[in-house]
Amino acid sequence: MQASAPPSPAAPRLLDNIGDWLFRNIVAVAGWFVLITLALAAFSMYWGGREAFAEFGWGFLVSTEWDPVRERYGALVAIYGTLVTTTIAMIIAVPVSFGIALFLTEVAPGWIRGPLGAAIELLAGIPSIIYGMWGLFVLAPLLGTHVYPWVDEHIGPWPILGALFRGPPLGIGMLTAGIVLAIMVIPFISSVMREVFLTVPNRLKESAYALGSTTTEVVWNIVLPYTRSAVIGGIFLGMGRALGETMAVTFVLGNAHRISVSLLEPGNSIAASIANEFAEATTPMYQSALLALGFLLFAVTFVVLSIAKLMLMQLKKREGN
Amino acid sequence: MATVAERLFLRRRIVNGLSLVLSGLAALFGLFWLVWILWTTFTKGVDAMSLSLFTEMTPPPGQDTGGLLNAMAGSLMISGLAVLMGAPIGIAAGTYLAEYVNHRKLGEVIRFVNDILLSAPSIVLGLFVYTVVVRTTGGFSGYAGSIALAFIVLPVVVRTTDEMLRLVPIQMREAALSLGVPQWKVTVQILYRAAAPGIITGVLLALARISGETAPLLFTAFNNQYWSTDMTGAVANLPVTIFQFALSPFAYWNKLAWAGAFIITVFVLLVSVTARYILLRKKMSHD
Amino acid sequence: MTNASIAFTTAVPTATELEPRAAKLSARNLAFHYGDFCALKDINLEVPEKRVTSLIGPSGCGKSTLLRVFNRIYSIYPGQRASGEVILEGENILDPKYPLNKLRSKIGMVFQKPVPFPMSIHDNIAYGISHYERLSKADMAVRVEGALRQSALWDEVKDKLKQNALGLSGGQQQRLCIARAVALKPDVILFDEPTSALDPIATGKIEQLIAELKQHFTILIVTHNMQQAARCSDYTAFMYLGELVEHGVTSTIFTKPTKQQTEDYITGRFG
Repeated sequence: MQASAPPSPAAPRLLDNIGDWLFRNIVAVAGWFVLITLALAAFSMYWGGREAFAEFGWGFLVSTEWDPVRERYGALVAIYGTLVTTTIAMIIAVPVSFGIALFLTEVAPGWIRGPLGAAIELLAGIPSIIYGMWGLFVLAPLLGTHVYPWVDEHIGPWPILGALFRGPPLGIGMLTAGIVLAIMVIPFISSVMREVFLTVPNRLKESAYALGSTTTEVVWNIVLPYTRSAVIGGIFLGMGRALGETMAVTFVLGNAHRISVSLLEPGNSIAASIANEFAEATTPMYQSALLALGFLLFAVTFVVLSIAKLMLMQLKKREGN
Repeated sequence: MATVAERLFLRRRIVNGLSLVLSGLAALFGLFWLVWILWTTFTKGVDAMSLSLFTEMTPPPGQDTGGLLNAMAGSLMISGLAVLMGAPIGIAAGTYLAEYVNHRKLGEVIRFVNDILLSAPSIVLGLFVYTVVVRTTGGFSGYAGSIALAFIVLPVVVRTTDEMLRLVPIQMREAALSLGVPQWKVTVQILYRAAAPGIITGVLLALARISGETAPLLFTAFNNQYWSTDMTGAVANLPVTIFQFALSPFAYWNKLAWAGAFIITVFVLLVSVTARYILLRKKMSHD
Repeated sequence: MTNASIAFTTAVPTATELEPRAAKLSARNLAFHYGDFCALKDINLEVPEKRVTSLIGPSGCGKSTLLRVFNRIYSIYPGQRASGEVILEGENILDPKYPLNKLRSKIGMVFQKPVPFPMSIHDNIAYGISHYERLSKADMAVRVEGALRQSALWDEVKDKLKQNALGLSGGQQQRLCIARAVALKPDVILFDEPTSALDPIATGKIEQLIAELKQHFTILIVTHNMQQAARCSDYTAFMYLGELVEHGVTSTIFTKPTKQQTEDYITGRFG
């Protein structure tokens, strides 16, 4: 076959250039759209909450008043409840997720790792409303009739610690909400931790095993130090999730506008108040207060998630080396 | 008489055994709850299953009959539109990240912001759309609901598209460019094809994610007791219906809530499994 | 003097047997930078028409960099730039005004790793052609067959043209990539270590193919395998640390190199 002169591509050239220019700009607009979305979201809630911020100032953060009739609002009850439920959830979820992640990466026999890991990831995708419903219809009654009365009777009288566990066995309340939240967050944190553990290069672990280390020692001395920042990042990621969680908590928290020391009592969280009361917020100030709460939630999760990302990025940089 | 080394070794083995048992217990503990939840949903859901779910509308309080037809239809409309709106923008943004600003500072910033959006509480996105859309248009609407859900679809699709495109080997780009094909055609005709299974998986996972989202819809599409295909007004949807029905004191409403929860769970699991299956097939065909 | 322990087949013509050919491609005062790092220094090289020229040298000497200048594939990476001239048919292809797609229709490239496109075997080859010409299905089929025959792949795939190209073996995939380049009827084909990812049998087939292709195309091949250069090429250029140390007829380079560095590399004192 003769190598004849190739066809002249002069005509396609203009179309190519236009196509390139157009495509490049379209995708650039989409890329910037992501940035604008975040900025707009933050700004819109601040703007919506400005009346409440203007009216109550910094007092908004520390006031426990929540009186729609007299139009006086304060965020402290909601903030308190959010922090308490999240703390309970993290105390339960972190060790358990840790154990699960470890089990999946180091302990479990090879054939079970894949399916079990996939199962955990599927479970992480179950909508939170399911957890909420289960909490309301199954867990709360169970705890209320069988567990809390026991707790109130036996741990309640203890000094100091007992104050946390005293109260009417309603079943719903901050402790129940914390437990439901923990269960919801466990698959999520487990899969993040599992991915993190999987990044440890095999040769590092193999050299430790070759020296006669037990599995625990390899985990403690090799895996954990290597992934330390990322593990913390994963925990923060889960915390960010727990802080903003609405449905898992709204069903079982009780929507009470007061701060109680006892965990068995009902309370409120930022997300739950907004969800429960938005439909009834008829006055502008009421709405503004709820939007102000939303802005607070956004600000807090933004900080937590940023920290999480920064810690996870540290691991990625090491991976690159 | 055990030597020091032997005693030490025994102690290490005991510690090791304990930790392994503990981690196994943790795994069991975690799984126990999740299995219990799924079991509850399954049994209560199946118990509430009937053909009327798919043929009748949501009933008023106190009534003993009725179904979830309008809610399911509404959810399909809202979710479908959300994916139609969010996925193309997400794919475009993901392309921008992987092909045009990959190693640049702007790329890092967009990825960072995108990950924040990804993990942001969905209630926040609902409020955002409320202030921007519902307030300005004067009322709840199916469109507002779709927009809110589209903002949840967006970061998921951006992330998977970005990652999937970056997995395509550089040589494939160079090989196509060496033929004289312009960059945009290389991206659209070659790279998208190579990354298609991954990108589709991302879209499906986004769909699974929005299927159960309640909070954003509370402030945008709200709910509707009747059959309505008018997206400019409030539209019935499954999650908000479940929310209202579950928290009510009416037994039949509670039952319908479980049915709805079961349907959503099955749908989410099916979509997720399909998504992962697509990715698995692609992985296997390359080995 | 030199150690003629590098065996090469008698198929490679010696200096006296090669007809002199005009240069198809000439690099003049070519320099290349990755950011601040100067990877190529003042390269002057003539690539004779319808011959095989190989670029050899130790890792990092710039041979791949030089190859990739010729089809300006570096232009998609920010911070990489070339200065100087490369003349093809009287025009400087490094000139920004010289259209990229015209360049790439005249100079094709085959990469180290075989990268078939995610489509059928037929479409892989038709893809490049369809960007330049509008052909009927029948005409396209003829072109595709022609390209596959030229790459010695036709007999192996003629019954499975509609199958996905990913199902082919490594050696077949590489010949497919060659067919893809050949289908555009270029003047020059650049090969960047085309056989380093292949087993010896596939390598042998590709080397045979190159010997046939040079009847129609000017070929420039980068290889880290000296024996391959000695087997396949008519002319050889030895590079070291970004400079073109020596180039000439292959048999001369391998038996009577004029520069000490060349001799050291050939005899394996470094590399």
